[in-house]
Amino acid sequence: MREEAHRFGRARHLVGIAGVPEGVRGETGVIVLNAGLVHRIGPFRLHVELTRQLNAAGYPTLRFDLSTLGDSAASGGQQTRAQQVCADLDDAMKLLADRAGCERFVLFGLCSGAQNAHVVAASDPRVSGAIFLDGYAFRTLGYTLRHYLPRLVDPARWARRLMRRASGSPATPKAAPQPVFAVAPAPRDEVIADFTGMVDRGMKLYLVYSGGISNYFNHARQFRECFGKVMRHPAVTTRYAAETDHTYILTGDRARLLDGVGGWLSRNFPPASAGRHP
Amino acid sequence: MRVDAEMPFFFGPDAGLFGMYHAPSFPARRAMLMCPPLGQDLIRCHRLYRQLAQALAEEGMAVLRFDYFGTGDSAGDSAEVDWERCVSDAIAAAAELRRRAGVDRVVAFGARLGGSVALTAAERAHFSEVVAWDPVLDGGSYVAGLDAMQAALREDAGRFNRPRSHSDIAEQWLGFDTGETLRRQLSALQVAPANVPTLVLDSMPVSSGPRWDGIVSRRGKVATIAPPTPWDDLGRLETAILSHPLIQAVTGRLKEVA
Repeated sequence: MREEAHRFGRARHLVGIAGVPEGVRGETGVIVLNAGLVHRIGPFRLHVELTRQLNAAGYPTLRFDLSTLGDSAASGGQQTRAQQVCADLDDAMKLLADRAGCERFVLFGLCSGAQNAHVVAASDPRVSGAIFLDGYAFRTLGYTLRHYLPRLVDPARWARRLMRRASGSPATPKAAPQPVFAVAPAPRDEVIADFTGMVDRGMKLYLVYSGGISNYFNHARQFRECFGKVMRHPAVTTRYAAETDHTYILTGDRARLLDGVGGWLSRNFPPASAGRHP
Repeated sequence: MRVDAEMPFFFGPDAGLFGMYHAPSFPARRAMLMCPPLGQDLIRCHRLYRQLAQALAEEGMAVLRFDYFGTGDSAGDSAEVDWERCVSDAIAAAAELRRRAGVDRVVAFGARLGGSVALTAAERAHFSEVVAWDPVLDGGSYVAGLDAMQAALREDAGRFNRPRSHSDIAEQWLGFDTGETLRRQLSALQVAPANVPTLVLDSMPVSSGPRWDGIVSRRGKVATIAPPTPWDDLGRLETAILSHPLIQAVTGRLKEVA
Protein backbone atom coordinates (compact mmCIF):
# COMPACT_ATOMS: atom_id res chain seq x y z
CA MET A 1 0.00 0.00 0.00
CA ARG A 2 1.19 3.49 -0.73
CA GLU A 3 -0.20 6.84 0.37
CA GLU A 4 -0.01 9.77 -2.03
CA ALA A 5 -0.39 13.44 -1.15
CA HIS A 6 -2.47 15.37 -3.68
CA ARG A 7 -3.49 18.89 -4.48
CA PHE A 8 -6.40 18.49 -6.82
CA GLY A 9 -9.83 19.72 -7.86
CA ARG A 10 -11.37 22.07 -10.40
CA ALA A 11 -9.43 24.99 -8.96
CA ARG A 12 -6.56 22.87 -7.58
CA HIS A 13 -7.84 24.02 -4.23
CA LEU A 14 -8.31 20.67 -2.46
CA VAL A 15 -5.77 18.67 -0.45
CA GLY A 16 -6.07 14.98 0.29
CA ILE A 17 -4.26 11.72 0.88
CA ALA A 18 -5.05 8.82 -1.44
CA GLY A 19 -4.33 5.30 -0.20
CA VAL A 20 -3.85 2.90 -3.06
CA PRO A 21 -3.34 -0.82 -2.34
CA GLU A 22 -0.71 -2.49 -4.53
CA GLY A 23 -2.06 -4.07 -7.69
CA VAL A 24 -5.63 -2.95 -7.07
CA ARG A 25 -7.63 -1.46 -9.95
CA GLY A 26 -11.34 -0.93 -10.28
CA GLU A 27 -12.37 -1.63 -6.71
CA THR A 28 -14.96 0.44 -4.90
CA GLY A 29 -13.22 3.46 -3.45
CA VAL A 30 -13.96 4.82 0.00
CA ILE A 31 -13.98 8.61 0.42
CA VAL A 32 -13.80 10.11 3.89
CA LEU A 33 -15.23 13.58 4.53
CA ASN A 34 -14.27 16.07 7.24
CA ALA A 35 -15.92 15.67 10.64
CA GLY A 36 -16.85 19.15 11.79
CA LEU A 37 -13.88 21.50 11.39
CA VAL A 38 -11.24 18.83 12.06
CA HIS A 39 -8.79 18.47 9.17
CA ARG A 40 -8.70 15.30 7.11
CA ILE A 41 -6.93 13.10 9.70
CA GLY A 42 -10.22 13.05 11.63
CA PRO A 43 -10.97 13.28 15.34
CA PHE A 44 -8.10 11.62 17.23
CA ARG A 45 -6.76 10.42 13.83
CA LEU A 46 -9.85 8.29 13.21
CA HIS A 47 -9.71 8.82 9.44
CA VAL A 48 -6.05 7.81 9.22
CA GLU A 49 -6.69 4.59 11.13
CA LEU A 50 -9.81 3.89 9.04
CA THR A 51 -8.27 4.46 5.63
CA ARG A 52 -5.14 2.45 6.41
CA GLN A 53 -7.21 -0.46 7.71
CA LEU A 54 -9.33 -0.37 4.55
CA ASN A 55 -6.24 -0.13 2.35
CA ALA A 56 -4.92 -3.27 4.03
CA ALA A 57 -8.25 -4.96 3.19
CA GLY A 58 -7.87 -3.98 -0.47
CA TYR A 59 -9.96 -0.79 -0.75
CA PRO A 60 -8.57 2.38 -2.33
CA THR A 61 -9.33 5.39 -0.13
CA LEU A 62 -9.19 9.15 -0.12
CA ARG A 63 -9.30 11.32 3.00
CA PHE A 64 -9.43 14.96 2.03
CA ASP A 65 -10.41 18.44 3.11
CA LEU A 66 -13.53 20.03 1.65
CA SER A 67 -13.31 23.61 0.35
CA THR A 68 -12.19 26.03 3.11
CA LEU A 69 -11.58 23.24 5.66
CA GLY A 70 -8.20 21.91 6.78
CA ASP A 71 -5.60 22.62 4.11
CA SER A 72 -8.07 23.19 1.28
CA ALA A 73 -8.81 26.64 -0.09
CA ALA A 74 -12.01 28.12 -1.50
CA SER A 75 -12.81 27.22 -5.10
CA GLY A 76 -13.58 30.81 -5.97
CA GLY A 77 -16.98 30.10 -7.51
CA GLN A 78 -20.37 31.49 -6.54
CA GLN A 79 -21.96 28.34 -5.16
CA THR A 80 -24.07 27.36 -2.19
CA ARG A 81 -22.33 25.17 0.38
CA ALA A 82 -24.28 22.13 -0.85
CA GLN A 83 -23.18 22.81 -4.45
CA GLN A 84 -19.58 23.21 -3.27
CA VAL A 85 -19.73 19.91 -1.40
CA CYS A 86 -21.12 18.10 -4.47
CA ALA A 87 -18.46 19.67 -6.70
CA ASP A 88 -15.70 18.80 -4.20
CA LEU A 89 -16.89 15.19 -4.07
CA ASP A 90 -16.98 15.12 -7.87
CA ASP A 91 -13.33 16.22 -7.82
CA ALA A 92 -12.55 13.58 -5.20
CA MET A 93 -14.22 10.77 -7.15
CA LYS A 94 -12.37 11.78 -10.33
CA LEU A 95 -9.06 11.69 -8.43
CA LEU A 96 -9.69 8.22 -7.02
CA ALA A 97 -10.90 7.02 -10.43
CA ASP A 98 -7.64 8.28 -11.91
CA ARG A 99 -5.37 6.84 -9.22
CA ALA A 100 -7.09 3.47 -8.64
CA GLY A 101 -9.61 3.01 -11.45
CA CYS A 102 -12.58 3.27 -9.10
CA GLU A 103 -15.97 3.68 -10.73
CA ARG A 104 -18.16 3.39 -7.64
CA PHE A 105 -17.74 4.88 -4.24
CA VAL A 106 -18.69 4.54 -0.59
CA LEU A 107 -18.79 7.78 1.41
CA PHE A 108 -17.92 7.93 5.11
CA GLY A 109 -18.91 10.89 7.24
CA LEU A 110 -19.24 11.72 10.93
CA CYS A 111 -21.64 14.43 12.06
CA SER A 112 -21.45 17.29 9.51
CA GLY A 113 -19.46 14.81 7.40
CA ALA A 114 -22.51 12.53 7.43
CA GLN A 115 -24.70 15.45 6.46
CA ASN A 116 -22.42 16.32 3.53
CA ALA A 117 -22.16 12.66 2.51
CA HIS A 118 -25.96 12.46 2.61
CA VAL A 119 -26.30 15.42 0.21
CA VAL A 120 -23.99 13.79 -2.32
CA ALA A 121 -25.30 10.24 -1.85
CA ALA A 122 -28.84 11.45 -2.53
CA SER A 123 -27.91 12.81 -5.93
CA ASP A 124 -24.80 11.16 -7.38
CA PRO A 125 -25.25 7.78 -9.10
CA ARG A 126 -21.58 6.91 -8.64
CA VAL A 127 -22.15 6.60 -4.89
CA SER A 128 -23.07 2.98 -4.17
CA GLY A 129 -22.81 3.03 -0.40
CA ALA A 130 -22.67 5.40 2.54
CA ILE A 131 -21.63 5.19 6.18
CA PHE A 132 -23.33 7.83 8.26
CA LEU A 133 -22.04 8.36 11.81
CA ASP A 134 -24.34 10.51 13.96
CA GLY A 135 -26.05 11.89 10.87
CA TYR A 136 -29.59 13.16 10.61
CA ALA A 137 -31.88 12.32 13.52
CA PHE A 138 -34.98 13.70 15.16
CA ARG A 139 -36.40 13.62 18.66
CA THR A 140 -39.39 11.28 18.72
CA LEU A 141 -42.11 10.46 21.22
CA GLY A 142 -40.13 7.34 22.10
CA TYR A 143 -37.06 9.48 22.73
CA THR A 144 -39.02 11.76 25.05
CA LEU A 145 -40.49 8.87 27.04
CA ARG A 146 -37.12 7.13 27.37
CA HIS A 147 -35.52 10.39 28.42
CA TYR A 148 -38.04 11.66 30.96
CA LEU A 149 -39.77 8.58 32.43
CA PRO A 150 -36.71 7.29 34.28
CA ARG A 151 -36.21 10.77 35.70
CA LEU A 152 -39.81 10.98 36.90
CA VAL A 153 -39.49 7.77 38.90
CA ASP A 154 -35.98 8.37 40.23
CA PRO A 155 -36.28 9.03 44.02
CA ALA A 156 -32.74 10.38 44.26
CA ARG A 157 -33.52 13.01 41.64
CA TRP A 158 -36.67 14.07 43.53
CA ALA A 159 -34.74 14.19 46.80
CA ARG A 160 -32.09 16.48 45.26
CA ARG A 161 -34.81 18.75 43.87
CA LEU A 162 -36.62 18.98 47.20
CA MET A 163 -33.38 19.71 49.08
CA ARG A 164 -32.53 22.48 46.65
CA ARG A 165 -35.99 23.96 47.07
CA ALA A 166 -35.74 23.73 50.87
CA SER A 167 -32.35 25.43 50.94
CA GLY A 168 -33.47 28.04 48.43
CA SER A 169 -30.46 27.45 46.22
CA PRO A 170 -31.01 27.41 42.48
CA ALA A 171 -30.00 24.49 40.34
CA THR A 172 -26.39 24.72 39.23
CA PRO A 173 -26.40 25.95 35.65
CA LYS A 174 -24.49 23.77 33.22
CA ALA A 175 -21.76 25.42 31.19
CA ALA A 176 -22.86 26.01 27.61
CA PRO A 177 -21.37 23.33 25.39
CA GLN A 178 -18.87 24.40 22.76
CA PRO A 179 -20.52 24.21 19.33
CA VAL A 180 -17.75 22.23 17.66
CA PHE A 181 -19.74 19.48 16.00
CA ALA A 182 -23.31 19.84 14.81
CA VAL A 183 -25.67 18.52 12.17
CA ALA A 184 -27.96 21.21 10.77
CA PRO A 185 -31.59 20.12 10.81
CA ALA A 186 -33.41 19.10 7.65
CA PRO A 187 -37.11 18.36 7.09
CA ARG A 188 -37.82 14.79 8.20
CA ASP A 189 -39.89 13.94 5.12
CA GLU A 190 -37.01 15.00 2.88
CA VAL A 191 -34.54 12.84 4.78
CA ILE A 192 -36.86 9.82 4.59
CA ALA A 193 -37.39 10.42 0.87
CA ASP A 194 -33.62 10.63 0.39
CA PHE A 195 -33.01 7.34 2.22
CA THR A 196 -35.80 5.68 0.24
CA GLY A 197 -34.38 6.96 -3.03
CA MET A 198 -30.91 5.72 -2.08
CA VAL A 199 -31.99 2.15 -1.38
CA ASP A 200 -34.34 2.11 -4.39
CA ARG A 201 -31.39 2.74 -6.66
CA GLY A 202 -29.38 -0.05 -5.04
CA MET A 203 -27.28 1.81 -2.49
CA LYS A 204 -26.20 0.15 0.74
CA LEU A 205 -26.40 2.23 3.92
CA TYR A 206 -24.72 1.82 7.31
CA LEU A 207 -25.95 4.13 10.06
CA VAL A 208 -23.94 4.16 13.28
CA TYR A 209 -25.21 6.48 16.00
CA SER A 210 -23.49 7.03 19.33
CA GLY A 211 -24.36 7.83 22.93
CA GLY A 212 -22.68 11.18 22.30
CA ILE A 213 -25.88 12.53 20.73
CA SER A 214 -28.12 11.55 23.66
CA ASN A 215 -29.66 15.03 23.61
CA TYR A 216 -31.71 13.87 20.60
CA PHE A 217 -31.11 10.14 20.06
CA ASN A 218 -31.14 7.49 22.77
CA HIS A 219 -32.07 4.02 21.53
CA ALA A 220 -31.62 1.59 18.64
CA ARG A 221 -35.41 1.71 18.09
CA GLN A 222 -35.12 5.40 17.25
CA PHE A 223 -33.81 4.66 13.75
CA ARG A 224 -37.25 3.24 12.92
CA GLU A 225 -39.05 5.94 14.90
CA CYS A 226 -37.20 8.64 12.96
CA PHE A 227 -37.16 7.26 9.46
CA GLY A 228 -39.91 4.63 9.29
CA LYS A 229 -39.98 1.42 7.33
CA VAL A 230 -37.01 2.21 5.09
CA MET A 231 -34.84 1.31 8.09
CA ARG A 232 -36.07 -2.30 7.73
CA HIS A 233 -34.91 -2.50 4.11
CA PRO A 234 -32.26 -5.21 3.67
CA ALA A 235 -29.87 -2.62 2.23
CA VAL A 236 -29.87 -0.68 5.50
CA THR A 237 -27.78 -1.67 8.51
CA THR A 238 -28.03 0.26 11.75
CA ARG A 239 -26.05 0.22 14.97
CA TYR A 240 -26.53 2.19 18.15
CA ALA A 241 -23.43 2.40 20.35
CA ALA A 242 -24.84 3.80 23.59
CA GLU A 243 -21.59 3.67 25.52
CA THR A 244 -19.54 5.60 22.96
CA ASP A 245 -19.03 9.34 22.72
CA HIS A 246 -19.62 11.38 19.56
CA THR A 247 -16.01 11.43 18.32
CA TYR A 248 -14.76 8.02 19.52
CA ILE A 249 -12.11 9.34 21.86
CA LEU A 250 -11.37 5.91 23.39
CA THR A 251 -9.20 3.68 21.26
CA GLY A 252 -11.24 0.56 22.07
CA ASP A 253 -14.44 2.26 20.86
CA ARG A 254 -12.61 3.33 17.71
CA ALA A 255 -11.37 -0.20 17.08
CA ARG A 256 -14.91 -1.58 17.42
CA LEU A 257 -16.22 1.09 15.03
CA LEU A 258 -13.54 0.30 12.46
CA ASP A 259 -14.16 -3.44 12.76
CA GLY A 260 -17.85 -2.77 12.16
CA VAL A 261 -17.14 -0.64 9.11
CA GLY A 262 -14.69 -3.19 7.72
CA GLY A 263 -17.17 -6.02 8.23
CA TRP A 264 -20.02 -4.09 6.62
CA LEU A 265 -17.85 -3.21 3.63
CA SER A 266 -16.63 -6.76 3.13
CA ARG A 267 -20.21 -8.07 3.23
CA ASN A 268 -21.62 -5.45 0.90
CA PHE A 269 -18.64 -4.58 -1.29
CA PRO A 270 -16.30 -7.58 -1.24
CA PRO A 271 -12.96 -6.35 -2.61
CA ALA A 272 -12.63 -9.00 -5.31
CA SER A 273 -15.82 -7.89 -7.07
CA ALA A 274 -16.40 -4.46 -5.63
CA GLY A 275 -15.63 -2.62 -8.87
CA ARG A 276 -18.28 -4.62 -10.67
CA HIS A 277 -21.01 -4.03 -8.16
CA PRO A 278 -24.42 -3.33 -9.75
CA MET B 1 -4.37 32.77 -2.21
CA ARG B 2 -1.83 31.17 -4.56
CA VAL B 3 -3.01 27.61 -4.10
CA ASP B 4 -0.09 25.99 -5.90
CA ALA B 5 2.19 27.83 -3.49
CA GLU B 6 1.11 25.29 -0.85
CA MET B 7 2.18 21.81 -1.87
CA PRO B 8 1.56 18.63 0.12
CA PHE B 9 4.17 15.89 -0.22
CA PHE B 10 5.86 13.00 1.55
CA PHE B 11 9.55 13.02 2.41
CA GLY B 12 12.11 11.59 4.84
CA PRO B 13 12.84 7.96 5.73
CA ASP B 14 10.80 5.67 3.42
CA ALA B 15 8.95 8.81 2.28
CA GLY B 16 6.89 8.40 5.43
CA LEU B 17 6.73 11.99 6.69
CA PHE B 18 3.95 14.30 5.53
CA GLY B 19 4.88 17.89 4.73
CA MET B 20 3.15 21.00 3.46
CA TYR B 21 5.51 23.46 1.83
CA HIS B 22 4.48 27.11 1.64
CA ALA B 23 6.50 28.82 -1.08
CA PRO B 24 7.25 32.48 -0.34
CA SER B 25 5.67 35.34 -2.30
CA PHE B 26 9.12 36.47 -3.40
CA PRO B 27 12.58 34.87 -3.27
CA ALA B 28 13.23 33.85 0.31
CA ARG B 29 16.28 34.69 2.38
CA ARG B 30 14.98 32.83 5.40
CA ALA B 31 12.75 29.89 6.12
CA MET B 32 10.66 28.67 9.02
CA LEU B 33 10.14 25.10 10.16
CA MET B 34 6.91 24.66 12.08
CA CYS B 35 7.23 21.82 14.58
CA PRO B 36 3.76 20.62 15.61
CA PRO B 37 2.79 19.66 19.13
CA LEU B 38 1.73 16.08 19.85
CA GLY B 39 -1.62 14.42 20.52
CA GLN B 40 -4.78 16.47 20.52
CA ASP B 41 -2.78 19.73 20.58
CA LEU B 42 -1.68 18.90 17.01
CA ILE B 43 -5.28 18.80 15.82
CA ARG B 44 -6.30 21.86 17.82
CA CYS B 45 -3.42 23.91 16.40
CA HIS B 46 -3.71 22.80 12.76
CA ARG B 47 -5.63 25.83 11.54
CA LEU B 48 -3.48 28.27 13.46
CA TYR B 49 -0.30 26.70 12.05
CA ARG B 50 -1.72 27.09 8.54
CA GLN B 51 -2.69 30.71 9.16
CA LEU B 52 0.75 31.50 10.53
CA ALA B 53 2.46 29.73 7.62
CA GLN B 54 0.42 31.73 5.12
CA ALA B 55 1.18 34.99 6.91
CA LEU B 56 4.91 34.24 6.90
CA ALA B 57 4.91 33.17 3.24
CA GLU B 58 3.29 36.49 2.38
CA GLU B 59 6.19 38.17 4.21
CA GLY B 60 8.67 36.31 2.01
CA MET B 61 9.56 33.32 4.17
CA ALA B 62 9.58 29.76 2.92
CA VAL B 63 7.67 27.64 5.43
CA LEU B 64 7.39 23.92 6.03
CA ARG B 65 4.72 22.33 8.18
CA PHE B 66 5.10 18.60 8.80
CA ASP B 67 3.91 15.67 10.90
CA TYR B 68 6.20 13.43 12.96
CA PHE B 69 6.19 9.67 12.45
CA GLY B 70 3.05 8.27 14.07
CA THR B 71 1.18 11.58 13.95
CA GLY B 72 -1.08 13.41 11.50
CA ASP B 73 -0.79 12.14 7.93
CA SER B 74 2.67 10.64 8.43
CA ALA B 75 3.30 6.90 8.47
CA GLY B 76 3.12 4.98 11.72
CA ASP B 77 0.57 4.32 14.43
CA SER B 78 -0.16 6.67 17.30
CA ALA B 79 1.26 4.09 19.73
CA GLU B 80 4.59 4.27 17.87
CA VAL B 81 5.27 7.95 18.55
CA ASP B 82 8.78 8.21 19.96
CA TRP B 83 10.37 11.37 21.34
CA GLU B 84 13.81 10.71 19.82
CA ARG B 85 12.17 10.03 16.47
CA CYS B 86 10.26 13.34 16.71
CA VAL B 87 13.55 15.17 17.20
CA SER B 88 15.22 13.36 14.29
CA ASP B 89 12.16 13.99 12.11
CA ALA B 90 12.47 17.71 12.86
CA ILE B 91 16.11 17.57 11.79
CA ALA B 92 15.14 15.74 8.58
CA ALA B 93 12.40 18.32 7.96
CA ALA B 94 14.87 21.19 8.39
CA ALA B 95 17.12 19.62 5.75
CA GLU B 96 14.13 19.16 3.43
CA LEU B 97 13.14 22.79 3.92
CA ARG B 98 16.65 24.03 3.11
CA ARG B 99 16.68 21.91 -0.02
CA ARG B 100 13.31 23.17 -1.24
CA ALA B 101 13.76 26.82 -0.31
CA GLY B 102 17.43 27.10 -1.28
CA VAL B 103 18.26 28.97 1.91
CA ASP B 104 20.43 28.06 4.86
CA ARG B 105 18.90 30.22 7.58
CA VAL B 106 16.02 28.35 9.23
CA VAL B 107 14.02 29.57 12.22
CA ALA B 108 12.04 26.94 14.14
CA PHE B 109 8.62 27.50 15.67
CA GLY B 110 6.71 25.16 17.93
CA ALA B 111 3.77 25.13 20.30
CA ARG B 112 3.85 23.08 23.54
CA LEU B 113 5.79 19.85 22.81
CA GLY B 114 6.51 21.23 19.34
CA GLY B 115 8.46 24.01 21.06
CA SER B 116 10.26 21.41 23.13
CA VAL B 117 11.21 19.50 19.96
CA ALA B 118 12.48 22.71 18.33
CA LEU B 119 14.63 23.56 21.36
CA THR B 120 16.01 20.02 21.62
CA ALA B 121 16.80 19.81 17.90
CA ALA B 122 18.17 23.37 17.63
CA GLU B 123 21.88 22.64 17.50
CA ARG B 124 21.72 19.49 15.38
CA ALA B 125 19.27 21.11 12.93
CA HIS B 126 21.34 24.33 12.87
CA PHE B 127 18.35 26.54 13.56
CA SER B 128 19.23 30.23 13.54
CA GLU B 129 16.55 30.94 16.14
CA VAL B 130 13.78 29.18 18.05
CA VAL B 131 10.36 30.65 18.74
CA ALA B 132 8.68 28.46 21.34
CA TRP B 133 5.05 29.00 22.35
CA ASP B 134 4.35 27.70 25.86
CA PRO B 135 6.96 24.95 25.45
CA VAL B 136 6.91 21.95 27.77
CA LEU B 137 10.13 22.10 29.79
CA ASP B 138 9.39 19.61 32.56
CA GLY B 139 8.08 16.41 31.02
CA GLY B 140 7.23 14.86 34.38
CA SER B 141 4.63 17.47 35.29
CA TYR B 142 3.31 17.43 31.72
CA VAL B 143 2.75 13.65 31.94
CA ALA B 144 1.07 14.08 35.34
CA GLY B 145 -1.28 16.64 33.77
CA LEU B 146 -2.14 14.30 30.89
CA ASP B 147 -2.76 11.44 33.32
CA ALA B 148 -5.05 13.65 35.42
CA MET B 149 -7.07 14.73 32.37
CA GLN B 150 -7.30 11.13 31.14
CA ALA B 151 -8.62 10.07 34.57
CA ALA B 152 -11.18 12.90 34.51
CA LEU B 153 -12.20 11.88 31.00
CA ARG B 154 -13.38 8.51 32.33
CA GLU B 155 -16.18 10.21 34.24
CA ASP B 156 -16.84 13.08 31.83
CA ALA B 157 -20.64 13.33 31.89
CA GLY B 158 -20.55 15.75 28.98
CA ARG B 159 -19.05 13.01 26.83
CA PHE B 160 -20.25 9.65 28.13
CA ASN B 161 -23.69 8.53 29.31
CA ARG B 162 -22.03 6.43 32.01
CA PRO B 163 -18.53 6.47 33.48
CA ARG B 164 -16.20 4.17 31.57
CA SER B 165 -14.08 1.46 33.12
CA HIS B 166 -10.45 1.99 34.06
CA SER B 167 -9.40 -0.50 31.41
CA ASP B 168 -11.33 1.47 28.76
CA ILE B 169 -9.09 4.48 29.28
CA ALA B 170 -5.79 2.71 29.96
CA GLU B 171 -2.64 3.35 27.91
CA GLN B 172 -4.10 6.40 26.16
CA TRP B 173 -3.81 10.14 26.45
CA LEU B 174 -6.86 12.11 25.35
CA GLY B 175 -7.76 10.07 22.28
CA PHE B 176 -4.42 8.59 21.33
CA ASP B 177 -2.78 5.26 22.08
CA THR B 178 0.34 5.86 24.13
CA GLY B 179 3.30 3.54 24.08
CA GLU B 180 5.32 2.83 27.20
CA THR B 181 8.42 4.22 25.50
CA LEU B 182 6.89 7.66 24.95
CA ARG B 183 5.58 7.76 28.52
CA ARG B 184 9.06 6.96 29.84
CA GLN B 185 10.73 9.46 27.52
CA LEU B 186 8.36 12.31 28.35
CA SER B 187 8.44 11.55 32.07
CA ALA B 188 12.21 12.02 32.02
CA LEU B 189 12.19 15.03 29.69
CA GLN B 190 13.99 18.15 30.91
CA VAL B 191 14.41 20.59 28.06
CA ALA B 192 17.71 22.45 28.15
CA PRO B 193 18.23 25.91 26.69
CA ALA B 194 19.25 26.02 23.06
CA ASN B 195 22.48 27.72 22.14
CA VAL B 196 20.67 29.98 19.67
CA PRO B 197 18.52 33.09 20.16
CA THR B 198 15.27 31.95 21.74
CA LEU B 199 11.94 33.73 22.03
CA VAL B 200 9.43 32.19 24.42
CA LEU B 201 5.85 33.27 23.84
CA ASP B 202 4.02 32.83 27.12
CA SER B 203 0.27 32.39 27.19
CA MET B 204 0.08 29.95 30.08
CA PRO B 205 -2.45 30.70 32.83
CA VAL B 206 -0.75 32.80 35.51
CA SER B 207 -1.51 30.29 38.24
CA SER B 208 0.56 27.62 36.53
CA GLY B 209 3.23 30.09 35.49
CA PRO B 210 6.23 28.07 34.38
CA ARG B 211 9.67 29.39 34.99
CA TRP B 212 11.19 30.30 31.66
CA ASP B 213 14.42 31.63 33.21
CA GLY B 214 16.32 28.43 32.59
CA ILE B 215 15.46 28.42 28.92
CA VAL B 216 16.11 32.04 28.00
CA SER B 217 18.92 32.92 30.39
CA ARG B 218 21.66 32.81 27.79
CA ARG B 219 20.29 34.11 24.51
CA GLY B 220 16.63 34.85 24.65
CA LYS B 221 13.64 36.69 25.89
CA VAL B 222 10.05 36.14 26.93
CA ALA B 223 6.99 37.87 25.51
CA THR B 224 3.55 37.49 27.01
CA ILE B 225 0.51 36.80 24.87
CA ALA B 226 -3.01 37.47 26.09
CA PRO B 227 -5.48 35.95 26.63
CA PRO B 228 -4.19 32.72 28.21
CA THR B 229 -4.47 29.63 25.99
CA PRO B 230 -6.75 26.88 27.38
CA TRP B 231 -4.35 24.01 26.64
CA ASP B 232 -5.47 21.82 29.52
CA ASP B 233 -9.23 22.42 29.62
CA LEU B 234 -10.99 19.09 29.13
CA GLY B 235 -14.19 20.93 28.22
CA ARG B 236 -12.46 22.48 25.21
CA LEU B 237 -10.53 19.41 24.15
CA GLU B 238 -11.99 19.49 20.64
CA THR B 239 -12.05 23.25 20.17
CA ALA B 240 -9.48 24.71 17.79
CA ILE B 241 -6.86 26.98 19.29
CA LEU B 242 -6.79 30.23 17.35
CA SER B 243 -4.74 33.27 18.30
CA HIS B 244 -4.33 36.41 16.28
CA PRO B 245 -1.94 37.82 18.92
CA LEU B 246 0.29 34.77 18.40
CA ILE B 247 0.46 35.37 14.65
CA GLN B 248 1.23 39.03 15.23
CA ALA B 249 3.92 38.20 17.77
CA VAL B 250 5.71 35.71 15.48
CA THR B 251 5.49 37.76 12.29
CA GLY B 252 6.50 40.88 14.25
CA ARG B 253 9.53 39.13 15.71
CA LEU B 254 10.72 37.91 12.35
CA LYS B 255 10.39 41.40 10.82
CA GLU B 256 12.37 42.71 13.77
CA VAL B 257 15.34 40.44 13.10
CA ALA B 258 15.11 40.39 9.28
